Order: sequence, then C-alpha cells, then structure tokens
Amino acid sequence: MSDSSALQRAQKAFMAQVLDENTPPPDQWNARQVAGMDVYRSNYRSAVVDAVNSTYERTRLWVGEEAFKQAAIHHVITHPPAGWTIDEAGYGFAETCQALFVDRSVVAELAWLEWAMLRTSRADDVDPMTAQGFAAATEQFEEADWGAMVVEFLPGSTSGTVQHDLHAVWQTISAGDGPADELEKALESERGCIVWREGDRPVFMMVDAAQARAFAAAQEGRSYGEICQMLADQTSGNQQPSDEALQDAAMAAGAMLGQWLNEGLISVVKTA
Amino acid sequence: MTFIKPFSGFGLGLRTAYQDALLSGEVDLDFVEIISENYMVDGGRSLRILEQVRSHYPVIMHGVSMSIGSAEGLDADYLRQLKRLEQRVQPLWVSDHLCWTRTSAHNSHDLLPLPLTHEALAVVCDNIERAQDALGRPMLFENPSSYVTFPEDELSEWDFLAAMAQRTGCFLLLDVNNIYVSAQNHGFSAQDYLAGLPLERVRQIHLAGHTPRGERGDFIIDTHDREVVEPVWKLYAQACAMIDHPVATMIERDDKIPPLPELLAELDLARSIACDAIQPSGQRVSV
Repeated sequence: MSDSSALQRAQKAFMAQVLDENTPPPDQWNARQVAGMDVYRSNYRSAVVDAVNSTYERTRLWVGEEAFKQAAIHHVITHPPAGWTIDEAGYGFAETCQALFVDRSVVAELAWLEWAMLRTSRADDVDPMTAQGFAAATEQFEEADWGAMVVEFLPGSTSGTVQHDLHAVWQTISAGDGPADELEKALESERGCIVWREGDRPVFMMVDAAQARAFAAAQEGRSYGEICQMLADQTSGNQQPSDEALQDAAMAAGAMLGQWLNEGLISVVKTA
Repeated sequence: MTFIKPFSGFGLGLRTAYQDALLSGEVDLDFVEIISENYMVDGGRSLRILEQVRSHYPVIMHGVSMSIGSAEGLDADYLRQLKRLEQRVQPLWVSDHLCWTRTSAHNSHDLLPLPLTHEALAVVCDNIERAQDALGRPMLFENPSSYVTFPEDELSEWDFLAAMAQRTGCFLLLDVNNIYVSAQNHGFSAQDYLAGLPLERVRQIHLAGHTPRGERGDFIIDTHDREVVEPVWKLYAQACAMIDHPVATMIERDDKIPPLPELLAELDLARSIACDAIQPSGQRVSV
C-alpha cells in the first residue's frame, strides 16, 4: 500500500484531530463536520480516560477524583494509546504520576502496583509448583546442579523496589480511608514488592529489597548460584565476599526460594 | 468457509453487571455475544468465566479493534490473537465494524468513519479478505453510527456495504439503531438504507438506545446507555419483515445497565415485534 494514498493521508489527519483539538480541520470542512469531529474526540477521550480509571481504581481513591481526572487526561494527551487493547491506555501511567505528583512518590508506586496486578491478571494459566513437585524435580541434584538451577515464576509475576509500605496503603484504601500522612512518607530503607496471581486473584507481598532484586535476577534467567553470589556481593560492597558472607548469602537465597515455593510463585525449576 | 448458516434467536452481550446470572445458565437467551478484545488475553478470570458461559449458550464474537478501514492494513498480532480466541470459543460467527480505529502510530479506541470512496472500498475489501483468510471463515461487519460525512464521498453507505459484501463474501450485522442515528445525523432515509442493502447477507441485528439530539450538541449519539426508542422499534419491524430468513437479534447495553429483568423484558419486546412481522405461514409481511 502506498505511503501517499489519499486515504492514508486523510486518516492521519483525522487521527491528529481526534487526539488534539488544536489540530485544524481540513480546509473544505464545514461547521457540521467540525461539530461531528467533536463527538469523536469526546468519545475517544472518555473511552481512554475510563480505561485509565478502571485500571488505577486504588490510585484514584488515594489521590482523589479531581486530581486523578487531571492526571488521567494529562496522561492520555501525552501518551495516546498505540495498541489495539484499550488496557494499554494505562501503560506508563506510573511514570506520569511520578512526574505529576513530585512530592507524593507513593502515588507512582501505587500506580506501578496496579499496573503489575492488571498484567498478572491476564497472564497464562499455569499451576504453581508444589513442595512435592519441587522435591521430585531436585531429588537427583548434585551440588553443581543446585548452583546451576534456574527458577521460573508464574507468568505475569513481577517485582520492584519501593520506598513506601504499599501493603498498608492498600489496606487503608480497602478500609475506605483516605490517604494517611504517615503512609505518604518514605520508609527509612527501601523495600521490595512481588506481584503474582493466586488462582484468578492478583496478589502482592512486601519483602526486603534484596529479595525483590533476586526475584528480578531469577526472572532474567540468572541461576541460583549467580543469585547467591549477587546477594554476597551486595553485602560485601567493593570487597571480595568472605566465606562467611557467601554462607550467609546461600542461607538467604535458600530462605527466599522456600518463600517463593510456599507462596506458589514458582512454576518450574531446571538446571541451566 | 463461504457460508454462514442463518441462526434464529435473541441474545444479550456478556457484561459484568449480570454475568453471574448467565453463569447459572438459567437466563432465557439463545446466544451470548462477547466483545472479542476483552477475551484476547493469555489467561485469567475472564477466560474462565467465558468457558462457563460457553457451556450454557452459543457465543458470538464481536470485535471493535480490527480496523478494516485502515489504509495501513491490519495488525498481524491482533489477527493472531483473534484467531486464537476463535479457536478457543468456536463461536457462531465473528463480527466487527465498517470503520477504522488505528494508524501505525495511534489507536482511537473509537469507531472512526470512512470516506465512502472507491479507494476506501478497495482498502476495506483487501482487509476483509485478509481477515477472513486468517480466520478461515467469513465474517460479519456492522454498519456504524456516524457523525461526519466527507466531501469526497462517492457512494451511499448502503451501496458501500453492498459492494463490500458482494466482493468479499462477508455477511452483515445490521445495527438498526445505527441506521436511525446516522439517518438523523446526515439526513438520509432509513428506509432507502434498508432497501439498498443485500438483506440476504444479514445474519444478526443489533438494537440499542441512543442519546437524543440536544443532550450532547446537535447530533444523536450511539451511546448504548438507555432503552431502544419507538422509531428504532419500527425500523426493526420493517427490517424483520424484509429479511426472508432467520436472524439473531441482540440488545446492546453498555452503560447505565438496568437490572437483568428489564433487559429481558426489552428482549421479549424484540421477540414479539419480530414474530408479528412474520405471518404464521412464515411469510414476511410489509409494514
């Protein structure tokens, strides 16, 4: 199809008018056509703002209707959706919140969490590995196999580091309470947050930041041995990790692995 | 591959507001229509609910994002995911709209109007053929409601639809409310529209309410947020009388959704009107 087809040019011009009321209409359009365009622009704006509203319900409750509405409108103007699924209208809203709510960084973190929960809610249905399944899969492991073991998580699972107690924020919203000053303040040290799905239900848990980073590393395909090394390096700064640090890291990694297994986060373990 | 057998019945869209009732399978419906894109996901609750609904009712897949009028062609990923859902659902048929929604850079998530030109007709036909090839089955396409006509228009909408169906072998989803809305907005005759369509290609009818002129400017707007109005019922009766084979009829309600019994009562009215449009012998009567 030619890039210069009349229809293609007309559609690009039409879309520009839909996205931005300041785009002038074609010269030959009359007042009726300009008024008709207003209907399309209004329909578009309400559809995508409604989609953002629906995805970020708790963020909306936390910041309040008017502030959220302004943020959502700003987002759809600055990030017009490109994909065929309207859920994508909410893509990048956490970054929009980060830019708009500069003094309230919990807002962007809450938006990040809601986006992660939407993603996991539509991910592939995969049963989590049971403790018995894990025991069977690792039964024949020798020491080298443990080091080379790669852990895969349920599809759609994700992790991040955060500065706020999102669990407390979530509970406050669930209780119908408004934002509390103490929950808007950053924690003394960063925490981690892991999001996954239990059956049909997206869930999350707060963990320490090291665990969130280990989770992310495992998702990238880093082996269990590499994760142990990563944890040891984190506690040792620029120094070569001591034997004690390596042993502590192995214990910490083992505890994380046990927690991931107990929470039903792991789908597969295998050797690299 | 080239024919869709007529299906007679009355149905509703699968909406969260009354999905629990549909899950019981005890609601008197002949089919349930889904918005395809809501289920074009990898997994999760929505697909589980759909599977349960499917166990009780035949399902129709109705899409809003194929963008068959797009000069930049169809989205390959969209087609792949639509096919995957179609294989999972085994629907009565798959439908979408005569409209466009996307350029290579943006998606409007609204059904945008096409200039009714021979160039646009060629683009639409190419895209429909590609979609039908990808799905391995003919599709239905719905006449849109519109708020803009173009100075460059060369065809009436009904002639455009007739040529589209003739060239591609696709079938039609006749939205009676959309005919009424566009006729009012653009000043054409709804009767001329009906008379100009290849009605033998119609397999489904949509009915819906709209926002009247004055509430949102000088246009009637297809909002699916209230009950069907009397002139649309009359047009529906005319359509039923003119179509000489069974069709599926559905009432669309997407906003301000009333309790299910109210929707079912409205669907009963559609049944009654359709029944009255046909003589006991099965002969259609003119209205």
